[in-house]
Order: sequence, then C-alpha cells, then structure tokens
Amino acid sequence: MTRRLENVLAALDSLEGAARDRSPLHGLDARAKLLVAAVFLASMLSVPLERASQVLLYAVFPALAAAAANIRYRTLLRRSTFVLPLVVLIGVFDVFTLRAPLFVVGPVVVTQGWGRLLVLALRAMLSVQALLVLTETTGIYRICCGLRRLGIPALFTAQLLLVYRYLYVLIEESISLVRARDARSFGRKGYPLRIWGTLVGQLLIRSVERAERIGRAMYARGFTGELPAMPYGTSRWTRRDTVFAIVWSAALLALRFLRPVEALAIWIMD
Amino acid sequence: MSHHYLEFRNVRYRYPGGQEALCGISLRITHGEKVALAGVNGAGKSTLLLHTDGLLMPSEGEVIVGGVTLRRQTLRLVRQSVGVVFQNPDDQLFMPTVEEDVAFGPANMGLSPDEIEARVARALESVGASALRHRAPHTLSGGQKRSVAIAAVLAMEPSVLVLDEPTAALDPRARRQVIELLRGFDHTMIVATHDMDMIGELCPRTIVMARGRIVADGPTRQVFADRAEVESWGLEPPRNR
Repeated sequence: MTRRLENVLAALDSLEGAARDRSPLHGLDARAKLLVAAVFLASMLSVPLERASQVLLYAVFPALAAAAANIRYRTLLRRSTFVLPLVVLIGVFDVFTLRAPLFVVGPVVVTQGWGRLLVLALRAMLSVQALLVLTETTGIYRICCGLRRLGIPALFTAQLLLVYRYLYVLIEESISLVRARDARSFGRKGYPLRIWGTLVGQLLIRSVERAERIGRAMYARGFTGELPAMPYGTSRWTRRDTVFAIVWSAALLALRFLRPVEALAIWIMD
Repeated sequence: MSHHYLEFRNVRYRYPGGQEALCGISLRITHGEKVALAGVNGAGKSTLLLHTDGLLMPSEGEVIVGGVTLRRQTLRLVRQSVGVVFQNPDDQLFMPTVEEDVAFGPANMGLSPDEIEARVARALESVGASALRHRAPHTLSGGQKRSVAIAAVLAMEPSVLVLDEPTAALDPRARRQVIELLRGFDHTMIVATHDMDMIGELCPRTIVMARGRIVADGPTRQVFADRAEVESWGLEPPRNR
C-alpha cells in the first residue's frame, strides 16, 4: 500500500521534473500548447462514435507530440490506461443493448456495442495522453499561469493549483497513516471495514489540519486568493508559438472536417 | 528606525471552543531585539506568534506593529512588515521550484518583475541557498528546506521576523547553520523554541509563557538564574548562558 502510494508520488515528481527538460515542445508558450490541446480535445471528441477510423488517426498527434518532447510513447500509453475502468463503467451498457453485428473478424463477431466501447476507450486514452504531454512539457504552475493569461478567472486557476498541491498532501498523509498502522499490525494483512473507516476519517482530519497550516503560511506571505503574476511562470509569445498553434490547429481541424480516410476510400473505389 | 517594534496590550484570545489560550498578554519588543519565547507545549507560544501577523485576531486587547494597530483593514500593511517562518517548512513551501516559492511573497506585494527577481536573488544569497534556485522544494534536505523557508520570508523584507521552532528536527550541522544565520540578522526577532541552548546563544532577552500567561520576561541570564523556578515551568536553563 505505502509502496504503491510512493510510486504515485514518484510519478508526480517525474512529471514535474520532466516539465523542466528542454525540447522544442517545452520551449513553447503555455498558451499555445493549451490552445492546441483544446482544439485537439474538441475536434476529436466531436467525431461520432461510429467513425472509428477517423478517431484512430488522431492517435498520430499525441505520438508526434511525445516524440517532439522526448517522452517515451510507451510510458504515455501505460499511464493513459488508468482511465479504462471509468470508460468501461460508461460504455458497458452499450455492449448489452446494441447487439447488431458491426463486422466479422474470422470467427469473432464484433457487435455495435463492442465497437462503441472500443472507440470510447480510444478517445479517453487519447485525451489523457494529450493532457499528459501538455503537463509533462509545461508543468502545472505554468499551465495555471497560461490559463490565467487566456482569461480564465483567477478563482479557477488558483483552485487548480491548490488541488494539485493537496494531492501531495493527501498522499503524504496517507503514507504516514498506513505506515503507523503497519508498524503495529505485525504482518497482519486484511483489516475490517471498521478500521478502514477510522483511517479514512483520520486522513480527512489530518489533511484539513495540514491544509489550514498551508493556508496560514500563504496568508502570512500576503496571499489574497489570487495567484500573483510571477516573473518565472510567464514566457513571451513568439512567432514560433503562432506557427505552432496555427499549423497544429489546422491539421486537427482538417482531420475533423475533411475526413481523409473516407475521402481516400472513395477515391480508391472510384 | 523606531517603527520596528511589536507591542501586545493585554491581549486575550479564546478558541472557538471557549478555551482561553492567551490570558492577558502584554509585551513590547523594540527595534533590533532578539527575543526568545519559551514555555512547555500548550503554553500558548504558537497562538501568540499567530497574533503577530493577524493570522489570529485578539478576542480582547490590541496588537500594534510599528505604530499600526492590527485590524482587518491594516492586515496587508502588518503582513508586509512581519515575516513569519512556520515550524514545518513543508507547510510553507508549496510552489513547484525554490525560486518561485521565494518569489511568492514579493509577487503578492505587487512588485515589478525586476524587483521580484532582485529580491529573490538577495534572499537566497543571504541564506546561502542560491544554488538551490531551480530545485523542487520537496527534494531538499531538512536544513535546506529551513533555509529556503527563511529566504521566502526575507524576500518580503520584513522589519520584524517571527520564527516558530527554527531548529526543530535539524541535524547538528544544519542547526548550527540556522543559528549562525539568525545571529547575523539585525531584524527585530521573536523566536519560539524548546532549544534552550539556542536561546542562550542567540537571544539576550527571554519571555517565558505558561498556561497562556507570561510568567517571566527579562534578560535571558536573569530569567534562567533560579534553577528551581525554571524547572517549575517545565524547562531547563541553557547550558551555555
């Protein structure tokens, strides 16, 4: 349990560490990356579930971005699979209701429901991959600054940063709680629900207290509820950012509206 | 510079539960004084420190910082002139990198980017942590975290420095460095601590608290002169006074 939590902390660390690397993608202004990520999500998520081939083509973009940012695509792929349980929860009903066959591969008949589930999973994973590339090349603080400069209200951007900060708080507090429990449980593995209840309650109390102390430290340094403008979190918008935003957005929109796969299929059949 | 003083006038504070944590505290700390605040756990030291910066407001009485009475309207002003270094640096450092964390205070004061950068450089330099600029705070050692937390407060250039247990949980060398650092400052300083030897080295004046009251206030040497009395407070005299 503590091991797993520590792995999560290490993964968060490596995420923040990666944000300080150098690459063509790291060097871009956070706003340019945010805009392109937004266009990516909007265009990909608006493709109807029936057009699997078109959704599949969108996989090119996170892969390209990962290559440009020196991120291993395999890691990205592995990390993006954590949304799959959520997808199953959403899409599982289609499997039972939409039973008309979609296509047949050898002896296996793929029904419409399964088809939709697969596309749903693909969309979810691609969304997460895009956001991971964004975070790993920008860092959460610069993302918040970028959002703020794009006109998102300070209330939301400050919230986002604090939620992220409290993720650490929660995990650190859980680790120390679980450690304290294990130290006195002499190898015992399972715990009754009653003990879990107390643990979770303790976690809540501890993290609220810790949050209060962090809040105090922030107020003591003049925090007013709005993240201040920093000389470090902000970069200047250059021509490279303009080119990046235009080229990538154009490619994404072209993929959405020109339907290259169908166009190709029609051209071949002609 | 007579405005660097801190005064409590008959301050009382009751926690929402009704328990009284400060029962009529009066004290005056003048410019450049280094004052230790001693007392057993639960004596009210931390509650008193939180009052210096308006993080808690007195239920009765007044807190005056450099001629400004602490009120909701004067909070901003007071917080600029009082810098609090909290007990646990992990609670204080929350920005992704050291330099951003040190810049947090000055940025909240609305300073220009150039001024912020100059202050960050100066503050890190003065605690000997310039090399840590780009590190993530949680990757630092305990002593480094403490130095950075102090730098983060120094960057606001406060006139009164308030420290809660600055040497707690530090190894001997890191503790020594923090003491030397604090000794070099000419700020008006109030240090709450159980580190009696640090009190002996650093603070010419000591205030002792017990159950929300001040039970002794005077030159450190005098305060700790009567061993029986010191033990009745639950303390020990510094070895090097």
